[in-house]
Amino acid sequence: MLDVRSILSILASNIKATGLPVPAPREALYSWSEGLSIPKDGDTLLYTGGLYQLLPYIEVYSSQLAKLEDKRSGGLLLRAAGRFSSLSRIAGAIVRPSKREVEESKRILQSIVRLLDAAGVRVAYRREVDGYSGVLLYDMGLDDDFKKHFAQVARSLAQTGARTIVTVDPHTTHVLRSVARRLGLLPELEVKTYLELLAENIDNINFKKGRAGTAAIHDSCLYARRENVIAQPRLLLERAGYQILEPRRSGRLTYCCGGPIESIAPKLSSRIALARIGELADTGAERIATMCPICLANLKRASRTAGGPPVVDLSLLLAERLEA
Amino acid sequence: MSGPNTIDRLRTWISETAGRCIYCGFCESVCPTRPLGPHRGYGPRGRVAMARLVAEGVTPLSNTVVESVYTCLLCAACETKCPVGLPIADIIRAARRLYTLEAGFSAREEKGRVPAIARR
Repeated sequence: MLDVRSILSILASNIKATGLPVPAPREALYSWSEGLSIPKDGDTLLYTGGLYQLLPYIEVYSSQLAKLEDKRSGGLLLRAAGRFSSLSRIAGAIVRPSKREVEESKRILQSIVRLLDAAGVRVAYRREVDGYSGVLLYDMGLDDDFKKHFAQVARSLAQTGARTIVTVDPHTTHVLRSVARRLGLLPELEVKTYLELLAENIDNINFKKGRAGTAAIHDSCLYARRENVIAQPRLLLERAGYQILEPRRSGRLTYCCGGPIESIAPKLSSRIALARIGELADTGAERIATMCPICLANLKRASRTAGGPPVVDLSLLLAERLEA
Repeated sequence: MSGPNTIDRLRTWISETAGRCIYCGFCESVCPTRPLGPHRGYGPRGRVAMARLVAEGVTPLSNTVVESVYTCLLCAACETKCPVGLPIADIIRAARRLYTLEAGFSAREEKGRVPAIARR
């Protein structure tokens, strides 16, 4: 277990300084869209929330934190870093994410746009508006910091003139659709996940014929228990030709990947991920489908450790079944 | 943004809401951290009890309490089993909010004593 006060200080400082929870260059958020012809204006705006793009950076950052948990001097170092936020500065200078992971996160977002296009859903995207929702501030109880950060997000979104915001991960979806609405921070806009839009327009999507293999489905806690996104991923996988294998705990009764406490208690987090990967591997599926970047990272790591099946984002599974 | 009234309101809300817990423990069977944690503070029943005791001023916000509320995943699996329908994840988040207020996170910002990186 790491020092909570220090972790919170570092998190709040990072977001205040850069708008992002971990040190990463701003272009990391939108470089996936370069070369794609996505309009800047439209009724339906894609807001990624940045989690997929930040994942490779979060991976490096988390592994640095995990090392501190093991060291006797780690607590002292972290407390000093939290006090002066120097860890952020040091980390900002040395974070070098894996190129393969950066490319994978780009492919995920590009696949989502391709799928929406195949479903006949035209989305707009503005790199200057895209950013981090501030969800970790809210989860950690830093409400004042969250409200300040999100006010800026809400202003930017409102200025685009879009009526519907399309999200790509459960954490951003939950903040925009449920938390911000409850707090009165985003009253006018409709928020939908790309999974809901794809499911609504599924008859437009031209998937390849034939079987695609087996996939165990790992429901995100927020999608399943807070946002009622349970049927849509199943419908999409089935139509794409996959045989879905349900783990012992699925749907509304899904089991967490352990990811939300990765920065506070890395060892406990990885033990939970290992327990979950065991349940998913027990289905005998060829691949494990996730629909959240945090689940993807945590379960992928656990599957590597346990020698389990590959863990793949749902968007990639669906996109590889699109007719060319 | 936040002042003493916020803390009082938060304490009252936690006390009243967590006070509805009947300590049946059904929630513990589905909590991912409970079987892997070192003590009962790593399960929903323990977390709710601690949040209530802290809110009512019976227990201080000790390291054990902070550890307990910050190792919660907020996954809300516990809520699927709660017979009284407690918003357990909201109670835990409120306890975290109480901690950040008591620990002076908001006050520190208001006084401008933000860490160096925030002033870059």
